[in-house]
Amino acid sequence: MSPTTWGWLVLLFPLLGTITIGLGFRTYSRAAGVIGTAAIFLAFVCSVGALIALLGRTGTHREVVSSLWNYDVSAGVDAKLQILIDPISVFMMLVVSGVSTLIHLYSTAYMRSDKGYSRYFAYLNFFVLSMLVLVTGGNFIMLIIGWAFVGAASYLLISFWYRRSTATRAGIKAFVINVLGDVGLVLGTFFIYRHTHTVSFLGSFAAAPHVFHTDSPDLVAGCLLFLVGAFAKSAQVPLHTWLPDAMEGPTPVSSLIHAATMVTAGVYLIVRLHPLFQLAPTAAEVGAIVGCMTLLIAGTIALVVTDIKRVIAYSTMSQIGYMIMGASSGAYAGALFHLMTHAFFKALLFMGAGSIIGAMAGEQSLDRMSGFRKALPFTFICFLAGGLALSGVPPFAGWFSKDDILAFMDHRGGIYEVLGILGYVGAFLTGAYTFRLIFRAFYGEPSPEARELEHGHLAHAEVHRNPANGEEEDTDVGFPGPEHVIAEREPAMKVAMGILAILALVGGFVQVAGVDAVISKFLATAFVHTPLASPADQPSVGFDWIGLVVGAIVGLLGIGVAYRVYIAKPGTSAALQARFAALHNFLVHKWYFDELIDVVVVRPALTLGRFAQAVLERVFISGALTGGVTGIVRSGSAAVRRAQTGLLRLYAGAVVLGLTAVVLYFLISAK
Amino acid sequence: MIFAHASSAPFSLSILIWLPLALALVCAALPARVTGRALAALSLLPLALAVTFVANFNSSYPFPQFVTDHSWIPSLGIHYALAMNGLNVSLVLLTTVLFTVSLAWSALRDIERPRLYYFWLGLAESAVLGAFLAQDLILFVAFFDLMLIPFYFLVGSWGSGERVRATIKMVIYTAVGSFLMLAAAIATGVIAAGDHHTALNFTFGALEHLPVSRTDGEWLFLGFAVAFLVKMPVVPFHGWLADAYKSMPIPAVAVFSGVVAKVASYGFLQIVLPLFPQASHHFQVLMLIIALVSILWATAMAFTTRDVRLVIAYSSVAQMGFILLGIFSLQAPGAQGALLQMLNHGLVTAAAFFIVAAVAARSGGSERMDDMGGIAFRAPLLATLFLIVTLANLAMPGSSNFIGEFMILLGTFQSHLAIALIASLGVVGAAFYGLRLFIGAMHNRVGGRVQSFEIKRSEAIAIVPLCLIILVLAFYPQFGLSRSQASVNLAIAPATTSAFRGSQSAAALLPTFASLDGPAGWWAYPLLAGVSHSLPGKPRRIYTYTTASSGSGSGQ
Repeated sequence: MSPTTWGWLVLLFPLLGTITIGLGFRTYSRAAGVIGTAAIFLAFVCSVGALIALLGRTGTHREVVSSLWNYDVSAGVDAKLQILIDPISVFMMLVVSGVSTLIHLYSTAYMRSDKGYSRYFAYLNFFVLSMLVLVTGGNFIMLIIGWAFVGAASYLLISFWYRRSTATRAGIKAFVINVLGDVGLVLGTFFIYRHTHTVSFLGSFAAAPHVFHTDSPDLVAGCLLFLVGAFAKSAQVPLHTWLPDAMEGPTPVSSLIHAATMVTAGVYLIVRLHPLFQLAPTAAEVGAIVGCMTLLIAGTIALVVTDIKRVIAYSTMSQIGYMIMGASSGAYAGALFHLMTHAFFKALLFMGAGSIIGAMAGEQSLDRMSGFRKALPFTFICFLAGGLALSGVPPFAGWFSKDDILAFMDHRGGIYEVLGILGYVGAFLTGAYTFRLIFRAFYGEPSPEARELEHGHLAHAEVHRNPANGEEEDTDVGFPGPEHVIAEREPAMKVAMGILAILALVGGFVQVAGVDAVISKFLATAFVHTPLASPADQPSVGFDWIGLVVGAIVGLLGIGVAYRVYIAKPGTSAALQARFAALHNFLVHKWYFDELIDVVVVRPALTLGRFAQAVLERVFISGALTGGVTGIVRSGSAAVRRAQTGLLRLYAGAVVLGLTAVVLYFLISAK
Repeated sequence: MIFAHASSAPFSLSILIWLPLALALVCAALPARVTGRALAALSLLPLALAVTFVANFNSSYPFPQFVTDHSWIPSLGIHYALAMNGLNVSLVLLTTVLFTVSLAWSALRDIERPRLYYFWLGLAESAVLGAFLAQDLILFVAFFDLMLIPFYFLVGSWGSGERVRATIKMVIYTAVGSFLMLAAAIATGVIAAGDHHTALNFTFGALEHLPVSRTDGEWLFLGFAVAFLVKMPVVPFHGWLADAYKSMPIPAVAVFSGVVAKVASYGFLQIVLPLFPQASHHFQVLMLIIALVSILWATAMAFTTRDVRLVIAYSSVAQMGFILLGIFSLQAPGAQGALLQMLNHGLVTAAAFFIVAAVAARSGGSERMDDMGGIAFRAPLLATLFLIVTLANLAMPGSSNFIGEFMILLGTFQSHLAIALIASLGVVGAAFYGLRLFIGAMHNRVGGRVQSFEIKRSEAIAIVPLCLIILVLAFYPQFGLSRSQASVNLAIAPATTSAFRGSQSAAALLPTFASLDGPAGWWAYPLLAGVSHSLPGKPRRIYTYTTASSGSGSGQ
């Protein structure tokens, strides 16, 4: 079969899964999980089919387009329902569907006692479908559709437990910020379309060098607007505030959002549109700088957050910062490589966190958990593997992929070299916050829950409270149900986490400097025309290894600091907090981004609305205008006023009579 | 006609127009308790008829099809002329669909004085269809005014709340607009006949070839514009909207905002732009700013109101703002998008009003957001349908509404970049108020007065079909676009060329021509005669050919 047939099948299965589960939600109980998982697994199988079909082709034959029907073909716009299968999309399909399959599998156990089990899997399938539409879309319209679907799906899942006011608020926040990103994408498309007169990717890329010169104003404007979309979706500063709040969703959802779908979309976007970004170096620099800022800001916040899921969330922001920075600098293969390894270990970390939260009976605060090493041995091993990969400790996957980006940037020189070096500072922060998490959760004196679990009892809360605001949970809508789950007791969770732990360990071996370069070679045809793909632009093997060694040392240094603060000298943390109270406060408030957006955007908008409502509408529209028009009738004597209603009736009656007469006249005269 | 052929239908359009009224009269003769059900079932007939016309419609033919043209009042040159073209084809279908579901919704409820109620609904449907299909200015005005009467009685007799106040406001506002339009319509015919020394003729086809002078065109434009802007409505002509929409019975408000308001925006495309192209260009920026203000103002209002019905009402004002924006971008994508959006918005807003009624039925009859919440749990199907409508209403990509908004903004972007950028804020705002409404009603804690239950048959009968159409259109928005393309190009070309006449260079005109479909664009445009000699190569040949063979474009 041709790669595009496989591509359509990849989209078909999650669609069927969504519809099947959605329509039969009353009749399924456990079946929804099976159907959902199977649908995504089939999508993965078809992705592999697409890969094999694509490998059978060479060079430009690896770019295949297929259309079903005209979607918006009019007035010069040429959008069809179209997919583009090339190495980039196949790569993304594999990562998305593969990791999502494992997350579905994990969810079948984790969500078992949730009352919204079927609804959950319908949403989850829809989420994966959206992401697959996003990565396979063959034109800007399809991309935007996938883009917005991802936003909607994330909204649905973030506010999955919709009786929680914190969840609905987080959902609406995520959705609105993502719509802002959609608008950025739409307007960016306009700027490009204005010159290329096509919305198809291949057409735009082919036309771009002829209609734009380097840094054409419209091209830069377009690319900056695309970046707005990328920043919103990938949670880059300052559009990141929805991501930590998105932790309101069930834990596997966080895993999905952070690993396989959603936040990686921004990276994909820049890589997909690389022919445009190459022509707009100014925009690319902005992307790289923002990526770098995000990775540092998020890294510092992750050092002080006490909610276990939020620590991992900030870590995601930080890691996506690496990818955005890398993709903007031209390290396309490196960015995608890191996207893949990050998907492995980040999904794993969230799954591990889910297991700990299960053992804590829903509690998420690091302040309350400790010493789970013995109580949760399997979770501990997996979490450790994920943590080591995240911190870039050899020979784990993250070590290779992060260096792929940083070495490229340092080799490219100029501003990119500076950003690359700052990336190593980020690596230090990564090691520190990751192991702060591990040391606090797994080491030290076992908490009561851990101790209970060591004796074989899973802790159970009498009254479930929302970890965010202490509100009592409404268990009608679902989780937390009567029982909690931990990986140790659930084969499905074990399998999912086990596979990911192995991938976190060996996933990096596909691309080792001087040994092999599976990913670069596979992707090479997609970047063959880009100026930055020439051998001279690639760092030498020796340069790569210097980077690898530096990265490993920096990461271990971070781990060492965490060890000293939390294990060797417990109490250092409190002392540091007291010593640097202002800084700590600044970080605890997440650099005050939420407050800033509230003051700059939310309040003015609402105030304007209330003002319009209370003053303008009442005084101006109802008073002056209506008063003006009706005033002609109303003003003057009381007699006129009294007569008004009667007058109106008379008027309406006259019109009815007149028209009836006209109609009758017509009926008679027109035979 | 030279290039494509109008297809013929087995029926006259007159049957389509008058059938609803006839059916209503027939059903009024039946026992009162079966009137509603009988009429609802029989209203499938006009729907089927409309489907037949749409199926026989030739999309590539830009001129009026299924033409009925009788001289009605010969001494005044008034014709009873009806026809379908790309501008009204999907709106006619929309009208029959919305009236059918509204009748079905009413039929499953107890209505006081049912015979009269259904008579007014039947009359309303006939009037709306007539307004869409009329091809004579005076006939259009007659139908346009006729539309008001049923709604006057529907609000006045079956309305709720402050219905007298609402009726007075609505009638006074629209009557002022109607008078101005009637005056403008008569003046258009008289001036055109006087200027060109021809007999009085009010048909669109004739008037398009009898252009009025620039100054006359400007005040005539304003006469029509006020009537249409009030009816749509847009800010600041919306003073009557809140009270009227609050008071109308749900089926009435569904068809009112679904199609009656669309007659006005349709009027801009069918009448104003082709007849007053220079004035349309002259007032373009003014209209764009009105549209922009509507979008932002109504969005701000929808942000803050706690009344569920008013959120939908204000979101309609914002959407009508987008439609106006698209029309007065005077660009093919903008007008195409506007027309598609009329169809989309008609479906979505009607569905939304029905859902408001369903939600209110679960929160003790209250339409305040404060009394709602948590309805989704016992009504998952209703929640899903509501979600579909909400997402379509906020024009989420993947819905047909998105394509409408995309094209509108693209057209605006091409003509006035800054306005497009500001208007896109409305898209973000819509996401906020749309979801706020959904969450407020369906999610969070269960509201104090809420007694939730799953969607009932009497609710599903209106909501489900509309949602299904919304979903189908989401996969295939081309349905609307391909049918309207040829006629839209024809309708906006005079104004577009007028817009380019400012710069006067033939080279500047060319991109506009390129977006027109073949020769259609040149056929009817006497305005172009002055510049035809400066057109190079192919466009000039086409122009010469079409004007010569059709025999109507030359000599102006």
